[in-house]
Parts: sequence; C-alpha cells; structure tokens
Amino acid sequence: MIKRFGVGGLDRRALLKVGAAAGLAQVAAPFVISARGEAPIKIGVANPLTGTYAAPGKNESIGMQLAVDQLNAKNGILGRQIEMLIEDSTSGDAGAAVQKTRKLIERDNVDFLVGNVNSALAQAMAQVSNEKGVLHIVPGGHTDPITGTDCKWNVFRVCNTTRMEANAVSDLLFKTYGKKWHFITPDYAFGHTLYQGCEADLKKLGGTVTGNELTPLGTTDFSAYLIKARAANPDVLVVLVQGNDMVNCLKQISQFGIDKQIHVAGTQQELEPVEAMPPEARVGVWMFEWYWKQAAGTPGLDDFIAEIRKRSGKVPTARTWFGYVTIHAYALACEKAKTIEAKAAAKALGDMELPPEIKLQPNKVYFRGGDHQLMLSAFLGELLQTGDGDPENLFKVNSIVAGDSIAPSVADTGCKMNMPA
Amino acid sequence: MLQLIFFNVTNGLIIGAFYALMAIGLSLILNLSGVINFAHGGFLVIGGYLAYALTPRLGFWGALIVAPFLTALIGFAVERLLIRRLYGRDPLYSLLLTFGLAFIIEDGTRQIWGANGLPFSVPAALTSPLSYQFFFITGYRMFMVAVVAIVVALLFVLLRYTRIGVRIRAGTLDLETVAALGVNVRALRSLNFAVGIFLAGLAGVLAAGQIGLEPTMGDGLLMPSFIAIIVGGVGSLTGTLLGGLLIGVASGLTAVIFPSASEAVIYVMMAIVLLVRPRGLLGEEGMLT
Repeated sequence: MIKRFGVGGLDRRALLKVGAAAGLAQVAAPFVISARGEAPIKIGVANPLTGTYAAPGKNESIGMQLAVDQLNAKNGILGRQIEMLIEDSTSGDAGAAVQKTRKLIERDNVDFLVGNVNSALAQAMAQVSNEKGVLHIVPGGHTDPITGTDCKWNVFRVCNTTRMEANAVSDLLFKTYGKKWHFITPDYAFGHTLYQGCEADLKKLGGTVTGNELTPLGTTDFSAYLIKARAANPDVLVVLVQGNDMVNCLKQISQFGIDKQIHVAGTQQELEPVEAMPPEARVGVWMFEWYWKQAAGTPGLDDFIAEIRKRSGKVPTARTWFGYVTIHAYALACEKAKTIEAKAAAKALGDMELPPEIKLQPNKVYFRGGDHQLMLSAFLGELLQTGDGDPENLFKVNSIVAGDSIAPSVADTGCKMNMPA
Repeated sequence: MLQLIFFNVTNGLIIGAFYALMAIGLSLILNLSGVINFAHGGFLVIGGYLAYALTPRLGFWGALIVAPFLTALIGFAVERLLIRRLYGRDPLYSLLLTFGLAFIIEDGTRQIWGANGLPFSVPAALTSPLSYQFFFITGYRMFMVAVVAIVVALLFVLLRYTRIGVRIRAGTLDLETVAALGVNVRALRSLNFAVGIFLAGLAGVLAAGQIGLEPTMGDGLLMPSFIAIIVGGVGSLTGTLLGGLLIGVASGLTAVIFPSASEAVIYVMMAIVLLVRPRGLLGEEGMLT
C-alpha cells in the first residue's frame, strides 16, 4: 500500500538513505574544501588536435604538459597548483577556434589563454582574449601583425614573426645560391607576410623574383606549380609552405629531380615534416626556430630532451619547446608580479629575459616590451638525409643567430602598444 | 607557353587517372547501394598505412598487393556490421554514418600511428624522371597510370563479362527486379562494397608514394573524386573515368593561367555541368532521384 504513495519507484527506505547521505555530505563538505586549499590556476589551450596541424599542435601540448608537471611538483604558481584545459581549435576553422576560446574564458574561467598554431586562428583568438582582458600567449602562429600592426597589451608571442624568418635566411640564400628566386607560397596570412618579407629582403640585396606560386593550404599535388617554377629558370626555388604541404612539395621536388637542377631551400623548416619525408626529399638550406642537437653543456638541455623522450618517445621539436616556454614564461611573469592578475602579469612579461634552463640555447632570449615578441635565436643550417650516424638528427646547424639581430625594430613592426592604466 | 600548356595537360591526365581510381570506387558503391561514402578518404588512409606497416616484411611490391586486399576486408566488415542496416532508409542516414566513420578512421590512425606523418619511400627504380625535358613524368607516375589503367580495364571486363558483373550492372539500374529474379542482393552489395573499398585501398598505397602519409591525406582527394562522379554522370562508370581525367586536366591548365583558381576550377566545372546538363556528361536521366 505504502508504495502507491511513494515518489515514483522510490520506497521509503531508499528515500531515507538518500536523505541521510545528503545530510552527511552537508556536514562533510567544509572539511573537503579546506583540505583542498586554494583553487588551482586554470590554463586554457585552444590548439589544433585534428587536421593538417594536429602534429605540431600535439607537440606543443607535450611541451606545455611537461612545464605544468615541473611547476606543480615545485609548488605550482604562487603556491597554487596548475590545471590545464585543452580544446581542439581545428586546423583551419577560425569560427571553431573563437567558439572554443569563448568557452574557455566564459564557462571555464581560465586565467591564462594559449593558442594557436595557425596564424589566422591565433589572430581570431587574440580578438577575444583582448576583449575579455585575459593574458594570452601565441606559442606558434607566425604572421607579422600578431606582434605588429595588430599588437595588443595582453598578447605575447613565443615563435618568430615571418619577417624575422625571412631576415634570418635571405642573406645566406642570396650568397650561397644566387639572385633569381621563385617562390612556392601557402595562400593565407602566414604565407603572404612571409613572402613579403623575403621579397623585400631580396630587393634590398639586388635580386629578382621570377614568380610566386600561391598554393591553397592542404595542396596535395604541386606538379603544376613546379612545372611553372622550373620553366621560369630561377637560381633558387624557395619553398614557404609548411606542415604536410611541405612534405608533399619536397617529396615531389625530389621525385621530379628538380633539386638536382635548381637549388631548393626555404625559410622556416620543422622537424615534424622532415621526419615524415623519405630521406631523398630532405634537401636544402633552412632555418629551424629551435633545434635539439646543440653544443654539449647547454644548461638544462639534456634533461629537457630526456623528459620529452620519456613522454613522446621522440626528441623535442621547436613546437615542444614553444609549449614549454609558453607555460614557464607565464609562471615567471606571475611570480615576478606576485599576482596572476592579467595587467600586472603582462607588465612583468614585457622585457623579461628567459633563464638558461628555460631558453635552452645560446644568445639572450627575451620578450620585447614594445611589441611583446620573444627574441629567440634562429638555427641556420641544412637538412641531413639520413642523420650523421644518429637517425634522429636530421638537421646540421651551421650557425645560431640572435633574435634581436634579425628582428625589425619595434617602430618598423607597426606596433603601437596601449597598456591599460 | 605552348610547351607549358602541353606539360600541364599531360600532367593533368596523370593526376586525373588517380582521381578516377578513387571516383570509380565511390561510384560503384553509390550506384548499387545508394550510399554516398564519405569514409572513402578514410579507407584510402587505411590502405596507405597498412602498406607502410607491411613494407618492412613484404617490400613495396608485396604491400602494394596485400594492403588493398586487407583494406577491402575491413570494408567488407564495415558493410556487414554497419552500413547494411541503413539500406532501407533515407540516404541521409548512411551519409551521416560514413561521415562519422571518416572521423573515427582519422582519429584511429592518429592513435595507432601518431599525429605526425610517416616517411614512405617507393623503390628507387621508380623515383627518377624519365627525361630531363619531361621531368614531371617520373617512373612512379607512369607506374601509377599503368596500375590505374590495368585495374580499370579489369574492372570493366569483370562488369561486362562475368555473372557477378552483369548482376552489379543490372542492380544499378533496377535492384528490385534483380532481387525478384532470385539474386542474393545482400551478398552482391557486400561484395560490391568491398570491391569499391579495394580501389580506395589501392589508391591509398599509390598516393603514399607521392604525397605525405598522414591521417588527413584522404581529405584533399575525396572532394575531387565526388566532383568527378558528378561531372561524369551518376550511374556511369565510363563517365566517372572521363570526369576524373577532365578535372585533372582542367586544374592543371588553370594552374598555368591563374594558379590560385586551380582548386576552385573543378567546382566551377561541377556547377556548369549541373546547370547545363544536370545528369552529367554520360549519366543516365533520372539516376539517383
């Protein structure tokens, strides 16, 4: 009889048990909270986990996670533990990146934002972070305006600007290979500014551009562009495409034997695509933004390599380093400012020099206060087909150039920084 | 200029042959099962990765033969377990299913083989260009075209002269009548699906020699294949072959004149065909309506 009056299928005993449990939870709750201490600092990451840039996106995450684990093992930031939330921004959908950014800021209330590999997505995210007043570091999107004409008080960048990349390599290409250049350029923000930088440098050096092939992001077949490029008879074929496009392009260049007729080179090169190429496609002079094989005795380097190898089974790439530096730079800024408040932390990050165990390279590495751009070294050298006795060593570093020697002055970047009062 | 155009037409035919291989597989499945297989690019990726995994043991040539069969086997299982259940329903259901499958395959390969691409080499004998002047005609590309030609020829022989082939063609036109005549339509569809996926697997192995082997490699090849079908005409395999070759040549030619439109031109072609001749160049009136 009693069942008929109960709530749904619940009988009196069950109801009592639930009530007792709820009551107990009320009593117990304060103890749990006090034991937990202060709430953790939340770091929100929106980076590609799927699509063309999934590999660099993942490597940046590995570097970030290492930094977070190191910090958490040593008292976190200002005594608070760090919690990292990673969202998939996709590789090329700015709408998705903005949506994820808003979710991280508005719903998860992150204290600090990281992203994006794709330049265009990084720009879109910076709009949102600026509007919300959240400190934001772009680990690996290169297009100039992020720390140039579109610079913002809350946005910093770890990787090079495209102009720095062009300046790093242009002289060397001109002296080694000759003065007629033909370009294969990815047709979006990154490629456009990188090409402009190279073209300006080449003009200054007295060379000529024989042509610029704009290729859509995600091009699989480069043969039509390569046919045109070879017909123009340049001294150097300058390959500016990145990621999988780079793999496809160099693979086809080597199959066509073009590298035996024209010099093949470029600006930015990364370990991810080089690992994905067959040995015969690894040709030319390039710059790496960071490289793992350096002079013995570089402080902290061996530990970093060992830790990353433990996590990914591979040597670190420039992307891993970007992620690692991003988190550590944020931690250093908060410790210096003694708060995680965005404006104070941003002020502390401007002009901050990275300590040896974080910069992991020679030369002074620091954020420029004027445009919030990190001055990192450029590693110039040439690709190794099979790695000098070490299958993981696919790049021979010839020189390591200081970042501020290749960066345009703050005035030339077009950045007008407005720090809020 | 004339030489450049000639180069690009030849080059376009080479690329077109590859699109055609993909598109014919898609077309087979679409014609008999009414399934728009969005996971076709995924099966291509599976073919490529299986070849990569098998190469150390079987060499390139062994992998070239075995990997497509294994891919077909996976395709067969997928048809039996998943796709078959949706035949009676609106095509939208199977489209959604294969769309989801494409994501699962992409992430699955990423889980197994990693997000970064893998180096896949073709035998040295095939990598060099045939002549200095025609540098874009490499041994490997000639080999690709030859493989496509042989496989397409075999497929047409199979469809024209064997009992199964005749049933598949008949089923394309009127499946109910074929079923009423006592043909086991379920088995026929499974087999046909597996043949289509075999072609995707083969395309995957061939593509891995030419472009980077990575989890999204099928994405860029899938849309041109769909367009090849639409341009050539739904329901006609000859049309699909023609459509593949046509869009290859069109994008090659556009690359000479207006490079940044070389990708868009195939969509423009599709739009024009849909406006002027909605059934496609060799398509039958009223297919798939």
